[in-house]
Amino acid sequence: MTHPTNGLDETVHQRHRLGILTIAAEARAEFSYLRDALDLTPGNLSRHLTVLEEAGLIKVDKGYHGRRPRTWVRITRPGRAALAAEIAALTELLRRHATTSGTEADEGGES
Amino acid sequence: MSENDPGELLTDLSRLRRRTRAARHGYWFPLVLFGVLGCAAAPLYLASAASVPAGPGGYQTSNTGPILLGGMSMGQDGFYIGWYWTVALIAGFLLTVLWYRRSASRAGVRTPSRGYVITGIVLTVLAVVLPPLSRAVPGLFLVWAPAGDAWVRGTLAFLIIAVGLWVLVRAERSPALAVIALAYTAAATAASLYNVENLLFRLGWNPASSPFGWDWTVLPDILLPALVLLACGLGALLAQRLRRPA
Repeated sequence: MTHPTNGLDETVHQRHRLGILTIAAEARAEFSYLRDALDLTPGNLSRHLTVLEEAGLIKVDKGYHGRRPRTWVRITRPGRAALAAEIAALTELLRRHATTSGTEADEGGES
Repeated sequence: MSENDPGELLTDLSRLRRRTRAARHGYWFPLVLFGVLGCAAAPLYLASAASVPAGPGGYQTSNTGPILLGGMSMGQDGFYIGWYWTVALIAGFLLTVLWYRRSASRAGVRTPSRGYVITGIVLTVLAVVLPPLSRAVPGLFLVWAPAGDAWVRGTLAFLIIAVGLWVLVRAERSPALAVIALAYTAAATAASLYNVENLLFRLGWNPASSPFGWDWTVLPDILLPALVLLACGLGALLAQRLRRPA
């Protein structure tokens, strides 16, 4: 059986990129919403978006609302799959950690 | 957000998901809008009932206009009910999409509302074109005539709104909206398949003593689903205002 850390994707397993995918999986999100929700600078957010877009996990649509330029981010099918795999790996890690901690506590109690 | 602890990371992601979902929810608007449109239709039903001439020959069914949306209304004014619902439903679905777009540009997150508007408009157009089309294609009559109980009272519009609402439940991913949709579907189905005024009679309501007399008996079927929508919509609006920080 493989260790759950093998299921962690280098591109996705970064807290802000994981945050972007989580929000985009919930709804098509605007650049400023992502920036505020994740507490990132515009430059930082742009870099994360570029990484995710190049990996084919999100699509970035640029448009206008009146005269104001707007950038909308939506998740792709591979992006949704990658997010689900990451969440599953993290959940499994958590479960293993809880099991190991429980065993150690039992052994400590017996000695 | 924390980087290394999987538990904290998962908790942070859940919080982000909840926050995003709350930011994009805007379902109070279609509930209030269709509730108001339902209440606004009441005078047409009242006028339709009032236009029935006295005597055994008075019960004439309206055979013009969108029959499925107007129902087999008694009297001459039933004609307007069908046309009212045709315009009200299409306008209501389009206004809802505009509302979601406006809401998205304000909140920064967009609820997918395309499926909702397409479902609503397709069902409305089908309800309008099926009866006249059946004159050219006689077999088509068998598609809509057997479901007579669902449209004969002129309440099919409420069932179309109910179907749209379930599509919206999926788009909004809201358990609260699912409960509302369930309550509303029950009200709309009861109003379509049963004479709701019978319940009120048993509770002691006597329309004969009111100014409009027995004509009032048409109202419970219309007002029950409309008021459920309106009450739930206003409740959702209030809950949303209380939840969001000022």
